Amino acid sequence: MGILQKAAKILFVCVHLMLLSGCWDRTEVNDLALIVGLGIDQKKDGKIMLTVQLVVPKSIGGGGQMGGGGGGGGETIVRSGTGATVADAISNLQEKLSRRVFWGHTKVVVFGERAAKAGIRQHLDFLSRNPQTRLRSNVLVSKGTAKSVLELLPPIEQSSAEVMRELSESQLLLRVTIKDALQMLSGDAGAAALPMVKILPPEKGKKELQTIAFIQRTAIFKKDKMIGDIDDKLTRGVLWLRNEIKLANITVRLKGEKGNITSTLIRAHTEFIPKYGKGKWKMIVKATAEDDILLNGTKLDLLNPKHTKMIEKELENETDKRIRAALKKVQKELKADIFGFAEIFHRKYPREWNRVKNRWEEIFPTVEVVVKTKVYVRRPGMNTAPQGLPEQEVKQ
Amino acid sequence: MKTGFILGTLVLVALIFLYEWPRINRTQKKEKIVFIALLSLGTILAIVLILNPDLPGPTQMIDYIYKPLGRMLGK
Amino acid sequence: MIEKGKISATQMGIMMYLTIIATAILLVPAITARQAKQDMWLSPFWASFIGFLTVYIAVQLHQLYPQKNLIEYSEDILGKFLGKAVGLIFLFFYLHVSGIIIREYGEFIVGSFLLHTPLVFVMGTIILVCSFAVRCGLEVIGRLAEMIVPVVIIMILILLILLIPDMEVANMFPIMEKGMMPSLKGAVIPQGWFTEFFLIAFLLPYVADRNKAKKWGMISVVAVMLTLSFVNIAVLFVLGELTAGFIYPAMSAVRYISIAGFLEHIEAIVAALWVAGVFLKIAVFYYALVLGTAQWLNLSDYRPIIFPVGFLLLLFSIWSASNLMELTHFLGSSSPFYRISIQMGIPLILLFIAKWRKRASNSNQGKYQG
Repeated sequence: MGILQKAAKILFVCVHLMLLSGCWDRTEVNDLALIVGLGIDQKKDGKIMLTVQLVVPKSIGGGGQMGGGGGGGGETIVRSGTGATVADAISNLQEKLSRRVFWGHTKVVVFGERAAKAGIRQHLDFLSRNPQTRLRSNVLVSKGTAKSVLELLPPIEQSSAEVMRELSESQLLLRVTIKDALQMLSGDAGAAALPMVKILPPEKGKKELQTIAFIQRTAIFKKDKMIGDIDDKLTRGVLWLRNEIKLANITVRLKGEKGNITSTLIRAHTEFIPKYGKGKWKMIVKATAEDDILLNGTKLDLLNPKHTKMIEKELENETDKRIRAALKKVQKELKADIFGFAEIFHRKYPREWNRVKNRWEEIFPTVEVVVKTKVYVRRPGMNTAPQGLPEQEVKQ
Repeated sequence: MKTGFILGTLVLVALIFLYEWPRINRTQKKEKIVFIALLSLGTILAIVLILNPDLPGPTQMIDYIYKPLGRMLGK
Repeated sequence: MIEKGKISATQMGIMMYLTIIATAILLVPAITARQAKQDMWLSPFWASFIGFLTVYIAVQLHQLYPQKNLIEYSEDILGKFLGKAVGLIFLFFYLHVSGIIIREYGEFIVGSFLLHTPLVFVMGTIILVCSFAVRCGLEVIGRLAEMIVPVVIIMILILLILLIPDMEVANMFPIMEKGMMPSLKGAVIPQGWFTEFFLIAFLLPYVADRNKAKKWGMISVVAVMLTLSFVNIAVLFVLGELTAGFIYPAMSAVRYISIAGFLEHIEAIVAALWVAGVFLKIAVFYYALVLGTAQWLNLSDYRPIIFPVGFLLLLFSIWSASNLMELTHFLGSSSPFYRISIQMGIPLILLFIAKWRKRASNSNQGKYQG
């Protein structure tokens, strides 16, 4: 008995020693290729080309301070692989990498224009199915190929992926994460909008790749296929209609006055009031903004409430114009419900909406949209009267 | 491969036996019988499952009994 | 009595709370969302009725047979043969359900974190750990629960608070678009989890302050209901209509957390919660199973059969489903009815028969006296 017990104890300890060696899925950091940016392109033959931007962890070792000149050896490198699907392309890509790809740090996902036009659903499915990728990665579309965008070596940030993430997060224009994209695509509206990047032409004397890609347009998707894009001006209008506007400077000219007045947005809110009656869908969009004056090029004294009222009026008109321009392009021409009107109607009139659910695409362009804008100018900035102007010329 | 699994199972069973057997009191006859019975039941089941992994399990049986009710929920 | 330890009613309530929510919190939101859509936060309220009923039945049965647990009094109620048969059904049920719980645990860990680790290994280690806890007896499990639960509750609260910036309240509307039916249908599956409260039938005989047992059982049901409802609301607000498409929506929602660009990638907390919670859950089920088996066989000690039963549990967890799809399908279709019929149906019948017997014997006694 005693020996048996001892033998059992020793065996027990041995088994535990096996467990102590760590978990099965142990991976050392220096066996991983950390991916920060992911680009998906479609080639002419329909194959998917996957481009990844990897971090080169050489600065960790101390030593050579940034390769400087020689061939633009930055802190990231770019590799590509091809295959029938994204997942297929990964295995092709893996062949060209000495380390195992790790998706946990992917910050941005860029779709090439052609891939976007062919449909992005299957790619997004991969990105949400894979346990390593994160739903919070920013999604963008690039003018031209995604590869050309990821290859850039930006002067300030560490990588072009980081540039795009920062630009997305600034929310100057659209910001969309994988989760948002999936929600838009699976929502009632059946349309989506993604920010679109364009390569900034490099400064004179700089190398061709030493530049960044910046968000300049918005790509419009119907179902999961890109059907068109709109420029930054219209995008601002779209942001108003999505209640996502965060930053905007609006410049107006007052009647009978020389010079411009620019105001900056402090707070904005858009309210949507859906109406339905006699088979007619109507949406009242109430946009409210609080502004500060940023620049006064006129001779008006801004402390005069009468002048403030005039400016508010003019700002309202300008905002209204922006919203209407966006509506005209997106609702009437592209016919894609990227504002999420479908959800709003669905929430207010579930029964009526369910009846027209399948015909929403036809109905959306006919929805009557009433835009009501209200702007409050709260503060004139740090100055009252126009600066640098003799007192007698200031209009009280 | 399969022999490896069976061997592993047997080692595991042996470990359980070696650990537990000395702890059961001599007087606890019934406990000893139950212990052996359960352990051999497990061993047999393990070997059957290793040799025939697709054997329909308890879940399938329950599923079969409750299917009409489950269908109410299914789409 | 085999078990000599005593637990307090509070410990029992805490233990049951964690036992129910441990798996419910991760799996239930998606399964509920499939039926209830944006009304998924209502479903736990409907489902909790079953929980109250189950606790009530267990307590009533306990009051009729204060010193005994289910395996013992079913013999008293139904007679030797039928009683043993009911006991066997329960033992098989707990063996099977524990196997499924262990499988759920294994699938989660392997599917989200340790992709290449063999499932058997992940499940085997948790069973080993649980078997040590069970060996130490009920008192230790009770104290473990007291230790783990506050941490779990605080963690859940922190996660919910961190999710607030990403919440979109509009996802909740229109409330009850298609009437009550979707949310009621969505409640069927959480009901399966609420019936697990019948486990207290195994714990009640060892509760020291019996008069408080019912109160704490009910408090526990309320706590589970609120927790599930809050988690469902949070997940719904963050993921909206995508919820049904995920296997572990709560996990996916937590992965989405990003506060100021540095407080992110905190899903490891969910994993820690899950491991701690499931550990206790398996331990409680395992304990009930081992104790029940020992009583069913009239053994004087349950400790010798812990490891053999653990081995069987491992086999059942492998045997119970061939893949995750099959497992989720089972959880979403027949499993609630299976669990309700055994954990509530049978006890309800037992209670009726027991009451009827008592009345009959009372009136008989009355006759003799008269």
